[in-house]
Amino acid sequence: MKQAVVMSLAALTVILCCSSPLFAGEINLAVAASLKEVLNELSDNYAKTHPGVGFRKNYGGSGALAKQIENGAPADIFISANTEWLDYLKARKQADEKSIATFTYNVLVFAGKPGLKATGVQDVVKLDRIAIGSPKSVPAGEYAMEAFKKAGISKQLEKKLVMAKDVRECLMYADRGEVDGAFVYKTDAQQAARNAKILFVVPQEYYPRVTYPMALTVNGAKNAEAAAFYNVLKSVEAQAVLKKHGFIVK
Amino acid sequence: MPEFTSAEYTAILLSLKVSIVATLLSLPFGFSAAYVMTYRKFRGKFVLDLIVNLPLTLPPVVIGYILLVVLGQNGVIGKQILQPLGIKLIFTWKAAVIATAVVGFPLLVRSIRIGMETIDQGLVQASRTLGAGWFDTVMTVILPLSLRGVIAGSALMFARGLGEFGATIIVAGNIPGVTQTIPLAIYEYASSPDGDRMALALCVVSVVISVVVLLFHEYLSRRMIRVD
Repeated sequence: MKQAVVMSLAALTVILCCSSPLFAGEINLAVAASLKEVLNELSDNYAKTHPGVGFRKNYGGSGALAKQIENGAPADIFISANTEWLDYLKARKQADEKSIATFTYNVLVFAGKPGLKATGVQDVVKLDRIAIGSPKSVPAGEYAMEAFKKAGISKQLEKKLVMAKDVRECLMYADRGEVDGAFVYKTDAQQAARNAKILFVVPQEYYPRVTYPMALTVNGAKNAEAAAFYNVLKSVEAQAVLKKHGFIVK
Repeated sequence: MPEFTSAEYTAILLSLKVSIVATLLSLPFGFSAAYVMTYRKFRGKFVLDLIVNLPLTLPPVVIGYILLVVLGQNGVIGKQILQPLGIKLIFTWKAAVIATAVVGFPLLVRSIRIGMETIDQGLVQASRTLGAGWFDTVMTVILPLSLRGVIAGSALMFARGLGEFGATIIVAGNIPGVTQTIPLAIYEYASSPDGDRMALALCVVSVVISVVVLLFHEYLSRRMIRVD
């Protein structure tokens, strides 16, 4: 009996240790949460035409991803929702400098309860609870904070801001109706929202343009499969997918 | 050590406040539950036992999510009871208190029960034969004799409350200065590339508070033994 228990525990340990086989064509993606649908579609298409290639996708706040990569998380391709976090990795010699390119652009909007009287940045101060991505690691939150500063309403909003871990969580809060509204990208509100509606588009003069730079990481540059997929991201095909999902490609 | 801003000081004070309020609020309920489970025999006792102890093994995230679904804008209690009364719980510090109370409750009940089970049954029966009603017996015999368990349980629950993260982040959100407790602040800094110094500084604060609570717990138990 005792022996049987020991044997089965040993067998279990062996199974658990071997349950994640690493196959040759593994591509690790670390991508801003707002690009989830786009990268899912592109990677699915790629996997279909390239049997044997597997993707591991990590979506999240760009700052959090940059920190994970810095601390050794496996990543071949990094796409950030602002230039700051890619520059951060570049400065730490984690990004392959030659490969840096711009993937796409986006626009910041305020999405919330339909019928809410908010048509401009100034109206937001009248609301009770507003979700933004944590500006410490989520670019959408940094852009929103920029806009508050420009509009001179940072102080009034101080205790109304619910900090989300990425832009999708931010949208989820608004979608559930737990906050009055959330600052998210136009594409998030269009693709992932069920109840929340876009109430206004934040005028461009309030914040720097939302730019998504991408790069191969230093490890990714050595991975032939990752480099091949990286070329797909720069292709016309990728642009078509981006456009389909509402992103701005120029 | 980096300079704390007002957001960090608020986080520290808020953690203490949430944990203290949750513990004090739970005390009467915890004591009643422990009393019922120790001294009463009734049908469905097993079910009560299960419900009280469930938060101990459930992932706190599950508790938070259930609370959100029930108390939120579209939840049963949230929509039918809280909204008509004009009460908003989700994303306020009160939601953090509720989450902390639910998560820490089993620890409190367990300690009080252990305290009650060590009471000499003869003393309880003697008080009843001398004419005390059950309420008198509870207040003058059971409560004083199980005080050690009550205090030990409160300290444990308080300490657990300081560490509450999973349920709190879901129901109370992460609002600096309003619902951001120490663990939530650490979480935010930990995912920020520039946040390591602050995260570590807050960890130090956490360790200091925990050590103080444990020392207090130890000191009380020793004093109790001497009184015994």
